[in-house]
Amino acid sequence: MRKFSFLLVLTLVASIFLAACYGGDNGSDDAGSDDAGSDDAGSETAGQELRVMESSAIPVMDTIMASDTVSFTTMNNVMEGLYRINADQQEVPALAEGEPEVSEDGKVYTFKIREDAVWSNGDPVTANDFVYAWQRALDPDSGSSYGPYLMEGKIAGASEVFNDGADPSTLGAKAIDEKTLEVTLVKPISYFNSLMAFPTFFPQNQAFVEEQGEDYATSADTILYNGPFVLENWDGSTDGEWVYAKNEDYWDADNVALDKITFNEVKDSQTAVNAYESGEADITTKLSSELVPQYEGDENMVSWLEPTVFWIKMNQTNEALQNENIRRALAMAIDKQSLTDNIFNNGSIPANYAVPKEFVQHPETGADFREANGDMLTYNVEEAQKFWQQGLEELGVDSLELRYLGGDSEAAKTSDEFIKDQLETNLEGLTITLESVPFSVRLERDTALDYDLQMAGWGPDYLDPISFSDLWITDGGNNNMAYSSEEYDRLLKEAETTYANDPVKRWETLQEAERVLLEEDAAIVPIYQRQSNILVNENVNDFTYHFVGPEYSFYPISMGE
Amino acid sequence: MGKYVLQRIFYMALTLFIVISLTFFLMQLIPGSPFSTAAKLSDSQLAIMNAKYGLDQPLPVQYAMYMGNVLQGDLGVSFQFSNTPVTELIAGRIGPSLSLGLQAMIFGTIFGILLGIIAALRQNTWLDYGSTFVAVLGKSIPSFVFAAMLQYIIGVQLGWLPVAFWRGFEYSILPTIALSIFPISIAARFMRTEMIDVLGSDYITLAKAKGASGYEIAFKHAMRNALIPVVTVLGPLTVSLITGSLVVERVFAIPGLGEQFVTSINVLDYSVIMGTTILFASLFIFTVFVVDILYSIIDPRIRLSGGNN
Amino acid sequence: MANHSDKRFPKAMFEPAQVDEALAEKIEKPSLNFWQDAFLRVRKNKAAIISFIILMLLVIVTFVGPYINGYDSETQNAAHSNLPPRIDALADVSWLPFEGTWEDRNGNTLYPYEERGIEESYWFGTDKFGRDLFTRLWEGVQISLLIAVLATAIDMIIGVSYGAISGYFGGRVDNIMQRIIEILTGIPNLVIVILLILVLEPGILSITLALAITGWTTMARVVRGQVLKLKNQEFALASKTLGATDFRIIFKHLMPNMVGVIIINTMFTIPNAIFFEAFLSFIGLGLQPPDASLGTLIEDGFKVMLLYPSQLIIPSIVISILMITFNLMADGLRDAFDPKMRD
Repeated sequence: MRKFSFLLVLTLVASIFLAACYGGDNGSDDAGSDDAGSDDAGSETAGQELRVMESSAIPVMDTIMASDTVSFTTMNNVMEGLYRINADQQEVPALAEGEPEVSEDGKVYTFKIREDAVWSNGDPVTANDFVYAWQRALDPDSGSSYGPYLMEGKIAGASEVFNDGADPSTLGAKAIDEKTLEVTLVKPISYFNSLMAFPTFFPQNQAFVEEQGEDYATSADTILYNGPFVLENWDGSTDGEWVYAKNEDYWDADNVALDKITFNEVKDSQTAVNAYESGEADITTKLSSELVPQYEGDENMVSWLEPTVFWIKMNQTNEALQNENIRRALAMAIDKQSLTDNIFNNGSIPANYAVPKEFVQHPETGADFREANGDMLTYNVEEAQKFWQQGLEELGVDSLELRYLGGDSEAAKTSDEFIKDQLETNLEGLTITLESVPFSVRLERDTALDYDLQMAGWGPDYLDPISFSDLWITDGGNNNMAYSSEEYDRLLKEAETTYANDPVKRWETLQEAERVLLEEDAAIVPIYQRQSNILVNENVNDFTYHFVGPEYSFYPISMGE
Repeated sequence: MGKYVLQRIFYMALTLFIVISLTFFLMQLIPGSPFSTAAKLSDSQLAIMNAKYGLDQPLPVQYAMYMGNVLQGDLGVSFQFSNTPVTELIAGRIGPSLSLGLQAMIFGTIFGILLGIIAALRQNTWLDYGSTFVAVLGKSIPSFVFAAMLQYIIGVQLGWLPVAFWRGFEYSILPTIALSIFPISIAARFMRTEMIDVLGSDYITLAKAKGASGYEIAFKHAMRNALIPVVTVLGPLTVSLITGSLVVERVFAIPGLGEQFVTSINVLDYSVIMGTTILFASLFIFTVFVVDILYSIIDPRIRLSGGNN
Repeated sequence: MANHSDKRFPKAMFEPAQVDEALAEKIEKPSLNFWQDAFLRVRKNKAAIISFIILMLLVIVTFVGPYINGYDSETQNAAHSNLPPRIDALADVSWLPFEGTWEDRNGNTLYPYEERGIEESYWFGTDKFGRDLFTRLWEGVQISLLIAVLATAIDMIIGVSYGAISGYFGGRVDNIMQRIIEILTGIPNLVIVILLILVLEPGILSITLALAITGWTTMARVVRGQVLKLKNQEFALASKTLGATDFRIIFKHLMPNMVGVIIINTMFTIPNAIFFEAFLSFIGLGLQPPDASLGTLIEDGFKVMLLYPSQLIIPSIVISILMITFNLMADGLRDAFDPKMRD
């Protein structure tokens, strides 16, 4: 009998424990019961409540520390900077009262901050909040990576503060008075306003941050909000479920329709679709390409072309790849159309360019960046083979062996397998050794130039062609393939200095630079531009996505038929 | 007994020490920078970041630092989750994993034991073959296939139970079933063998001779003794639950440790991999220890001693 | 009493039996060696025999399969991507899924062969690169089996030697070796396998190695137990007295007595290795393309299970058959070799 009572006790203890675990998870109980309600009758409680799936938990809520899309997206919705990106991908003043005053040379911006902008504890948002946050972002002790990345070379004094330990007050961001912020730049930056919509540049309430100390931004209660929503029921970066509630103190609260948004972390794309299909969520995570054909023609699938381009970098420390004919042959031997249409089949398009389509428009005519240069390095097997033979002759060899460094994501593995096959089939005597490695390993080998060919993608952080163009300047931080062209460097320099205040000239110079990169030098092999696809319930109106930084805005959304 | 326990504790500590060291040095062998933003940082920026996290120190120093920190219960910070302490990450994620694991263990063993008893009592009938088949199936079908099928058929097609997330008991039913299929098969097979063994022993024959009913024999006499050795499968069960959780949590979108472990492997988040590894190892070592002690307590035939054999 | 019986049964009725010394040694039952004995007992276990036959058929198909239909497992043909299974001879059998059609989410039937004007038939369909899945499947099974068998063989060599040495020499050696095993088994396999594969980069060899390194301890324990039991039995002592070396005693005299145990252990290790390989693929630590194994095939199929279910179902069936047959065979063998079950 004793043995049985022991088992019984064990079971009891376990069940008590289980009960405790559920209790802990639902945290604030009202949220739990609401959820249960919404399951029983999705339509009844739909009201102004939205249920969204995210690809990961929120890693961080301290604006200066964030470096990932989910964090940026959350910040964009519960906080606010001087500017905000709207549904048309245009920057519009947010905390800034109208457009800033810009000095003649384009280097000094003076922002006025809205009088009615307040933090969720009632404090007004002041110019000092910006100065404080930016200085903090450049303090090596805080360990921010996006701070130095976005500020160095742009804001005066940023580099000195971060690298040489200069006094933070020498940073080119000053509070003239309570509501006036003056920013001094290193050089004129035409896209500076749109940069202000990036969460790294958001303000922080100094008194609150210092009062919270280590605990700042570790849970919903230790953050101050100034955006359309506030976080509720978020227990820190491990929490797989979190909730937004409408921020009644937000200056534009009248135009925010949603009362509540529930988020769930879902890693598996198939699971997300299953949950969506069974009515447990309204918006899925991005669909993996395998799932897209299933929803072809479905009006609930929202698709947009991301300004993310994938290309093959050719490492010119390899003698064979120094040969322009070899590079050109490689660039023209891949049937990109077949890759995007047959293999991916998710709306991605072949890229015959280095700056993406539907990304930026001409400052005056509004024409797409792509219109001037059109397609370059298009697929042409015969031409490719001609260049290949010529290149081999010049090198004095009849076969080549190249290492191909690829990623380990699903899309990367798929495209790498296809490209290897294409190159080996179309170019006689070429052997490709495929090495699929995790992202961080790829980056390390990229920096060390330890590869021959490398599949890489680039998504911009701000809306300007320069975010793509300056990748390829000699010794540029992301060049890492020993590409060096005097002509290219000269064009980039001209664009950044001579034409800094002449948007049209600058625009044309950057287009010319792209032509030099691809048509003249065949420096990279552009492969494809990615399309995003997600499922959005038909009850959701005005779903809003963005190209750079934060991915979605929820304030324009309303629920209804 | 006391001496035995002490000895075991010493070996547990030694094992853990080896696990931690092994993990540390293996992680050092893996190439790659821990910073997800490394692509965007200049060399000088990277150097400053490395210094901040002590990654510029020589390996032995880093090792000593890590060991010292682990002893104080500090498992470092996650780079993927911008500086969140690993202990915090684990603490925030362990709840769902533990309750799911315990539920699967309880459900799995009870159901498995029943299945095993039925098979043993009706040896060589279709009931026996049926339960053996279920047990073999449970061991044979990859857990991710089973979990995905369960989710699709019961959740999406039939709509009987929630498909994903972790919001209450009904949300845990499908993942529990998916996770317990393996425990069921282990427990069922083990129980069947033990029951057959016990049913053949003299005291059961005596009970039969005294005229006890089949039910009485099975549940009052045979099951009790057959159950004792089943305790020993708890060790392997823990391992199978940990392994299973990696898959099941991902498929059912449960914010647990297993799911996080897989993510950290995919992005090579060193400190999280190490922390979780240490936790899994401790859990396993501790379970085996508890099972051994339990076994000696409930089975009077076994007396543990400090010596060998 | 004696007299009384004498009267009823006179001595004359009896004659002394001829005791033939030779006959005393005669064994009525046919003499069976260890293997015959085991085989006789396995034969009674129908499940094990059927499993064995199915497994053998599967292995034959596995090695012949890649050469049957003339396709190569690595040749891509993007225009033929994601085709459904079609076998011309069976296309008209409506209950078999070999008509060459898919069904979409709304239940409409799609005819990709006809739509794309493809004449050839792919028996098990094609994957997203247009590679023939029939050929890929069998090559995948080959690799899975190779990994499993190789890992098990390494397991066996290390485990048996370690266990035999530990058990045979005993004392201090045994003590130290056992403590090492105790510590090793304290570390969950999963963790070591994952760490090793992260370090070594996924590939046939690294997966095999990782599985082998973690798997041998069970074997070592079992063998040690057997050696402990056997080494003091008369035949071993006799051999020792006759001056046989330790090596000879272990491998010539003790080993044949442990074959059963070793085989049973091996039979359980193989399906475990197959399973683990599939599991590793699922969490992203599987083989590198274009190599395929059962694990990577299932993982690829899992991603498209709603749209192209056959890509998941076919390899799943094969892995299930492999696992079930191996497990049932192992069970049968265990029962056969186990003296307790002898009747």
